[in-house]
Amino acid sequence: MIHDSMIRERLVTGDKTAADVTKDIARPILNKPSTAWKVGFTLSVIFLGIFIVSLFWTLWTGIGTWNINKSVMWGWDITNFVFWVGIGHAGTLISAILLLFRQKWRMSINRSAEAMTIFAVICAAMFPVFHMGRVWVGYWALPLPNAFGSLWVNFNSPLLWDVFAISTYFSVSLLFWYIGLIPDIATIRDKVKTKAAKYWYRFFSMGWTGSTRSWARYELISLILAGLSTPLVLSVHTIVSTDFATSVIPGWHTTIFPPYFVAGAIFSGFGMVATLLVVARKVMNYENYITIGHLEAMCKIIMLTGTLVGIAYLTEFFIAQYSGVEYEQYAFMNRASGPYWWAYWSMMFCNLVSPQVFWFKWARTTPWFIFIMSIVVNVGMWFERFVIIVTSLHRDYLPSSWVMYAGSLTEIGLFLGTFGIFFTCFFLFAKFLPVINMSEIKTILRNRE
Amino acid sequence: MGIIDKNLSLRNRNRMLLGVWEDEDKLVEATSSLVHAGVKIQDVYTPYPVHGLDRIMGVRRSWLSIVAFLCGMTGFSLAFLMIHYMYVQDWPVDVGNKPVRFSPSWIPVLFEATVLCTAFGMAFFFFIRNRMIWGIQPELLDERQTDDRMIIAVETEAGMNEKEVLDMMKKHGAVELRERVGGVSTTI
Repeated sequence: MIHDSMIRERLVTGDKTAADVTKDIARPILNKPSTAWKVGFTLSVIFLGIFIVSLFWTLWTGIGTWNINKSVMWGWDITNFVFWVGIGHAGTLISAILLLFRQKWRMSINRSAEAMTIFAVICAAMFPVFHMGRVWVGYWALPLPNAFGSLWVNFNSPLLWDVFAISTYFSVSLLFWYIGLIPDIATIRDKVKTKAAKYWYRFFSMGWTGSTRSWARYELISLILAGLSTPLVLSVHTIVSTDFATSVIPGWHTTIFPPYFVAGAIFSGFGMVATLLVVARKVMNYENYITIGHLEAMCKIIMLTGTLVGIAYLTEFFIAQYSGVEYEQYAFMNRASGPYWWAYWSMMFCNLVSPQVFWFKWARTTPWFIFIMSIVVNVGMWFERFVIIVTSLHRDYLPSSWVMYAGSLTEIGLFLGTFGIFFTCFFLFAKFLPVINMSEIKTILRNRE
Repeated sequence: MGIIDKNLSLRNRNRMLLGVWEDEDKLVEATSSLVHAGVKIQDVYTPYPVHGLDRIMGVRRSWLSIVAFLCGMTGFSLAFLMIHYMYVQDWPVDVGNKPVRFSPSWIPVLFEATVLCTAFGMAFFFFIRNRMIWGIQPELLDERQTDDRMIIAVETEAGMNEKEVLDMMKKHGAVELRERVGGVSTTI
């Protein structure tokens, strides 16, 4: 028997019953799309168009349309790759790690955050794949039998680990998301009226009836998947960080990278979750489900992880000076005071300084302010990856190789275009699937007699 | 014991008595009383997981965790064999004179393969055990059982005191009582 807590605020406000939950959350699916949805979707499709044009131009003309060169061979593409993979991590953190810690506030936001994970990983995968240049031989990255003298992939290379990590992460996240969706798809199946909708929701509900025997196994599989996803999410960004850390480039060759990247990933992911949910709760009238309490909890995590990455920035700067290695010392001094100083200080301001406002309750409980802050966090985290990649590469060991780098129009188009992919997927998700996990929310209503 | 849980199918069942609830606590009480009175409950259908109900009904703990472990070991072994074959036996590649025999650099791929096989292997058995497959027709007793209603289903058998069962359901707050014969439910 659960009783109301005297100290904690309710997770779902407005005295909702189970029937109200179904009605509220299924409303966007059962009704015609709203004007806000149509406008948002159209804008997203326009950005998707920008992506397609930029991609076509890249494939038609070649990687020469990007400004990467012999010194800065990784530019916006890998910056964007790490940026998007990082954004994906909040979804798994919310659905897996917070489940293991029994944080019930995750129930209102896990569904949309997991969807975000999947869409973000799709966006991320675009960059390394198309950076290959000859994308049609991309399958060479896989350990397949071939006719090149039995030459296999290099298992000592972190780039191969990435292939395994990202594909496993995507597949397992998709599976976790889908299994979580099944009971809700069944609920929608029993509500929709049109024949086509009935057919498709029935198809994907896999005959779910809500039997106690099924629920018992369902809860167990969710728990085991959460247990699996937790080390998985940590491994993914650890492996992404080893792409850099196993090299001998000054500024990359550091052991702090794995924890620093994981903290940064969760930080940026929560930034994106906050951006989406502050808008979604208003537009879709979900204020009773995603309450100010939820936003406040997210802000606390943003502040914590922002501070963690801030400490990592300061630590790596200190260790570089302390190491006595002049190349390391130069790389870091060059970041802070060289030609890309503006990127370094934007990163410092956005990621270390600005989240500190969340010490104040007003900042954590004011939606419009959280929205602005979440954008600042996203910008900051993009700059972090830009700083790590470009500032370390643009000044080589050989001064004759020193160059400046700025993204070309095609690279900018590809980056903006991935927002098109991301939001087009997100708007379709919001129209056809419940954005909030109904069956979990119904367990925490506490409206019993 | 087959892999598919036969209890989940409602086809070819005898006449069934159904009680409908709207309150979770009363449902748990009713299930508990019925079980204590020796009534064999076919299943309880709820729109969300009601904790403890499976234990009251006497559902055995699932073997899924053991299945998951076995799938994980399979994934690990397959990945190990794959890397060993490709990298040690068939065509060792000397990159910067780094070791090709087992080295810590194998761990990421071994780990990812283990997780992948565990997750998908376990899900595969989960779906089979729960007779879930894309496109299967759901056997619903009430179209609100996935919304806000909870149903206890009791299959009648020879020598069962049906009136007593129905009275007990009523006493514990059933909002509606039904019988189901040949796939059709009617209110009693």
